[in-house]
Amino acid sequence: MMQAGDAIWRTRRDLTAGTVIRYALVVGAGAVVLLTGVRIELVLLALIVAWVGLAYRTVVGARMSAESPALIAAGQYDEAEKRIEQAVRSFIPSRVAKLTNLHHLAALRHAQKRWSECAELCLAVLRFKPAKAGGMGRGTRLMLADALLEAGDVEGAYGAIMGLYQQKLSLTEATELLAVQLDYESRVSGWERMMEGVERKARMLELMPAGRSGRAQALLALAAKKTGRLDWMEFLLRRAELLSDVQELKERRKVLSELWPGEVKEVA
Amino acid sequence: MESESPEFLGVERLLEKSKPGGSAGWVWYGAGGLVLLGLLGGIGGTKPTQEELVVQVASAGMMMLIVIGMGTAIWVKLQRFREEQRRLGEVDEFIQLRRWVEAGLALEVMLSRPMRSPTHRVQGLVYLASVLGRYQRFTDALAVQEYLLKHVQFDRAGEFTLKVGRAMAMLREDHLVDADRAMSELRKLSGGQASGGLALVEIYRDIKTGHAAEAIEIFNKRSVVIREQLGHRAGDVHALVARAQDMAGDEAAAQKAWGDATVLTPARELVRRYPEVAGVAEKYVAAVMPGGMSE
Repeated sequence: MMQAGDAIWRTRRDLTAGTVIRYALVVGAGAVVLLTGVRIELVLLALIVAWVGLAYRTVVGARMSAESPALIAAGQYDEAEKRIEQAVRSFIPSRVAKLTNLHHLAALRHAQKRWSECAELCLAVLRFKPAKAGGMGRGTRLMLADALLEAGDVEGAYGAIMGLYQQKLSLTEATELLAVQLDYESRVSGWERMMEGVERKARMLELMPAGRSGRAQALLALAAKKTGRLDWMEFLLRRAELLSDVQELKERRKVLSELWPGEVKEVA
Repeated sequence: MESESPEFLGVERLLEKSKPGGSAGWVWYGAGGLVLLGLLGGIGGTKPTQEELVVQVASAGMMMLIVIGMGTAIWVKLQRFREEQRRLGEVDEFIQLRRWVEAGLALEVMLSRPMRSPTHRVQGLVYLASVLGRYQRFTDALAVQEYLLKHVQFDRAGEFTLKVGRAMAMLREDHLVDADRAMSELRKLSGGQASGGLALVEIYRDIKTGHAAEAIEIFNKRSVVIREQLGHRAGDVHALVARAQDMAGDEAAAQKAWGDATVLTPARELVRRYPEVAGVAEKYVAAVMPGGMSE
């Protein structure tokens, strides 16, 4: 299994090498104009071939781990690990493709519940300029916030979440952010704030996969209980029971035991 | 003469018009041009005459122009590709938010001209099948699904999802024999793994054919996988189970199942998806989201 530190080191090394090669090609192209006594057209041709070769490496590198998100979603972690490791170890000149592979590794560690490694990888991805903006950056921040919350670093998670409010999010990202935000607010007892716009929040959470949606709605149910909105508590509690394994919910978020103080009711 | 306006989301027209345009043959012309100019520029070697020097400089200049031209063309193509991708993302969001009119209009515009990428076209057609289903145009939805299954090589998960949609459309159209065959294909494709989507189709088939006990049995056996895989769409299964319990005469169980269904999905949406549960909706009390706003 590839260590996070090793993957980050390899990525940095390749990014530096890629930058050096790109600059060398640009300088080479410029120098052709100034050189005398050399076959200009042959040098140009060589530069073009080198450029096309780099582009080809980029495409090959990007394809190596392209299927890993689907493999992770299907729970085939070993196969995903193999492909991502191969991609991380390969030289890929494109910065975006290289960082995407690191992002995939972070996603794999997230799925494996290796929170600190996931957070380390996410932070490494976000240090690089191409990843700061755009979809990869937003996805990485969401993953980072979630991993930090799971690892108990509430303050760090707050920092990651704040960075997202200035960005335009897709519906999926906004829903994911809502789930992370509810998790964060439940840890700082922001019950009133959680209940603001509860109907909109409940509808947005319908778009999430069962487990994540169930947990987020259970946290909302707890907020409803804390703020005396018993109609909402009952409704959201029922939803959570229909979407999740209650015992698992209680184990992952101790605070939720308050919703099911006695025996766990079995839902058919 | 009166011109006939094309049918909104006309399947045959959209399938034909959305086919991606010609391949990027100009890339090969450009590459060939570069090689030719490279050879032409070699005339005269390192000690050219005045005329040969002119040819060498002109060749180098033209090579530069071709590279810049190709770079610009690739950039423009990339921008258009990204724009198409962004629009598909919008359609996906419209479908998730059940904004069917906007989704339909966006697909009509997008698929009425050659798409930039075959992958985007496939995704657009998958969305088209969903939207047609929402408009109760199941024959058209089936045509799109059949086209995709015939012409596109999906991965296993993609093929499975599409075949579940196709089986549901067949059931809605009362093509029970075809649906049965489609379910057999799904069972083979699932490789023995439990599937929430397949359970939903089987339960719906049993409701259609009046086999209430079988529908309830499937639900009891696969409730965990239904919950885990279908999320809020498990509301569909609970609604059908409510219908099955009602058919079986167990009103208390039917009420509970209908309550569970409507906790997950509004009653109106369930009746729209499954006309068979209209009677259940009238007979039993639905859960309503506090605040009382219904869709």
